[in-house]
Amino acid sequence: MDSIAFLTPLLDLQVLLTIAAGTLGGLVIGALPGLTATMGVALLIPLTFGMTPVMGLNMLIGIYIGGIYGGCVSSILLRTPGTPASAATVLDGYPMAQRGEAGKALGMATIASTIGGLIAAIVLATLAPQLAGIALEFGAPEYFALALFGLTIIASLSGDLLKGAISGLLGILISTVGADPISGVMRYTFGIQGFASGFAFTPALIGLFALSEVFTQMERIAADEEPIKTVSGRWPSRADMKESRGALIRGSLIGTLIGIIPGTGSGTASWISYNETRRASKTPEKFGTGYAPGIAATESANNAVCASALIPLLALGIPGDVVTAVLMGGLLIQGLAPGPMLFQTNPDVVVGMFGGTFIATIFMFIFGMALIPLFSRILMIPRRLLAMSIVVFCFIGAFSINLNPVDLYTMVGFGVLGWGMNKFGFSQAALCIALILGPLLESNLRRGLLQNDDNVLAFISTPITLLFLALTVLSAGWPFLSRAIQRRRAAQNI
Amino acid sequence: MFKTALLGAATAAIAATGALAADYPQRPIQVVVPYSAGGSTDLSMRVVADAFERAFDAQMVVRNQPGGGGGIGSSAAINARPDGYTLGAGAQGPLVIKPLIGGTDYQLDDVEFIGLYARSLQVMVACADAPFADYDAFIEYAKSDAPQVGNSGAGGANQISAEAFADAAGISIESVPFNGSSEARTACIGGHIDAMVASPAEAKAASEAGQMTPLFVMEDERIDLFPDTPTAVEKGVDFTWSSWKGLIGPKGMDEATVAWLRDAVEKVATDEEFVKTLTDMGEFVTYENGEEFEARARKDMETTKSVLKKLDMLGMNN
Repeated sequence: MDSIAFLTPLLDLQVLLTIAAGTLGGLVIGALPGLTATMGVALLIPLTFGMTPVMGLNMLIGIYIGGIYGGCVSSILLRTPGTPASAATVLDGYPMAQRGEAGKALGMATIASTIGGLIAAIVLATLAPQLAGIALEFGAPEYFALALFGLTIIASLSGDLLKGAISGLLGILISTVGADPISGVMRYTFGIQGFASGFAFTPALIGLFALSEVFTQMERIAADEEPIKTVSGRWPSRADMKESRGALIRGSLIGTLIGIIPGTGSGTASWISYNETRRASKTPEKFGTGYAPGIAATESANNAVCASALIPLLALGIPGDVVTAVLMGGLLIQGLAPGPMLFQTNPDVVVGMFGGTFIATIFMFIFGMALIPLFSRILMIPRRLLAMSIVVFCFIGAFSINLNPVDLYTMVGFGVLGWGMNKFGFSQAALCIALILGPLLESNLRRGLLQNDDNVLAFISTPITLLFLALTVLSAGWPFLSRAIQRRRAAQNI
Repeated sequence: MFKTALLGAATAAIAATGALAADYPQRPIQVVVPYSAGGSTDLSMRVVADAFERAFDAQMVVRNQPGGGGGIGSSAAINARPDGYTLGAGAQGPLVIKPLIGGTDYQLDDVEFIGLYARSLQVMVACADAPFADYDAFIEYAKSDAPQVGNSGAGGANQISAEAFADAAGISIESVPFNGSSEARTACIGGHIDAMVASPAEAKAASEAGQMTPLFVMEDERIDLFPDTPTAVEKGVDFTWSSWKGLIGPKGMDEATVAWLRDAVEKVATDEEFVKTLTDMGEFVTYENGEEFEARARKDMETTKSVLKKLDMLGMNN
């Protein structure tokens, strides 16, 4: 077996140490709000100039995997999504930590990330060429249908349908700020150059979730509230694991599938997975109150995306998300052009990257588990000091991404918006989903119309669009449907 | 009394700048890249910084300031204090095209051109399942139907180059904007568009794999990577286009500083290791001094102006 021989370079101590260092570095980068996996990979590419391809690329993969995982730490502990991928983890992770189960929440996230990563890595190593074809099937109508389906999450996630719809529509309206995706005309920028690309996404999320939470806490902090006393152990209970089994498998598979579709990414995957898990659950009302399967669903999905985004990259030369686009730059620097030919010309590199994905995932598990006690102790800091440090981190995080002062106004503005929404019972999650999917929806609707001479029928003409549109109808109607079923059951029981 | 003081201050200031130029650079030089980390402009500038630090006893720090199609970062570099410590990566889109579309707080005249170190050559490729596979078939097809040509964003460099070619060749095309070149590439390999403008490196790998077919090269002469692919020029269409990468700064820098920087770019751009790394990345490494660089940018601006006028995009965002 040649492929076994290709794996031996990975066992070299130096290579292992490089992957370990990459994963640990990625974990820290991901955990710090405002530093994203994309940035980590991009900034360290110059370091790989002098390395062998297998070593350099696997270090970058380590950063990627560690970075996406690390995002859960600040989401769970501080309600600050370190990366957009872990915004959905806030929903159940933060309430759990507030209840004194931070260690458990982080442990669940670590286990879920590992399982998601490993399942996707197995798929990557065994089925990459076969599955990569999915990536090519997605044209504008397919993306539009997928985004529309994603938006129906809003209906089931927000308790009050009307308020949820308002939040979602507000999100879509906000996402239209900036250059028009098709004509390039500036919209709603009021002549401010800093808004030419619209509201920056991560600063908006930091404001929406983290700063707003600080505002909310400030209202009740007046009475000197005690810090959280317990942070619990790192292992989730057996009951938690049993309840999460379905969530883990569903999340991993959804993440793997979404990862293959280029241009969607881990943010979309984790929201869809969260929603599907909730829908399948016998106790959907527990989601959002600090329920372990909620974390299992989002974290398994977003780490599954990491490995599966490599599928179209390696098999077709198409990057699946922003980080893999940067990784593609790393491959080119090594003189390797990703694409179908890579499997023939440099099988050692391809197999080496498959192996590296496994190794980095395992390192991620080890480091994650080892660091949990240290991370979760952050919550024992007195609340006032903690709130203050979060504010500082919000500002640093929002600014460091684009070094654009306008992003600070964005962050503060969204902080106030998030606080107000929270106060009056509007769903922040709905706004977040709309911000992620709005641009995907709009640009593909417009592009599809442009390409098909404004013929709407093109949007219902392929099997994939029909599938997603059917799912959309089902998903939007689900709350009504399930209520009707319950009512009938109740009637029968009487 | 006041006059003498003023004169004294002025002399002191001149002396100070003179001394500064002699000791330039004393601090790390910051280069603003107007795109996110990891793109080709960013990576090539990092290779420049690497070579710069090898060649001189000085530091060069790359700072990414993305947004607005490169307009935000370019504005930061062009409006920076002209002390030679804040420079910018000069890219075609934000310098030449954006000011014509409008909404920027700078014009091409505000730019100090230091030196160009690479050109990004362009190849028009036919996508998977396209109804044409060579130049002649492409033109023939375009006579009856407008082929859908993908680009990396509305008002971006490769929309302009595709439209400029169409103009020169007397055909009409339908531009389909995507969010970045990798999305356009995906659509092209998936057969959702008919053609796109690609870099020789990506076109090479994709054409070997049968995903794309090169139609023509936007150069004067055929290039080594595609010896069998014609240029537009040899097909009788007077059209060349390439994107470029260079170093720019704000106007008003001290002359000695500018001269020092120009020499530095020349030294870096001719450094053997630099040339090799950048060539491996798929760039066409070449050196042009400040004047040649500026002349190139101005020529591109003339072409762009007429294309934008035709598309009704001239001054659209003013």
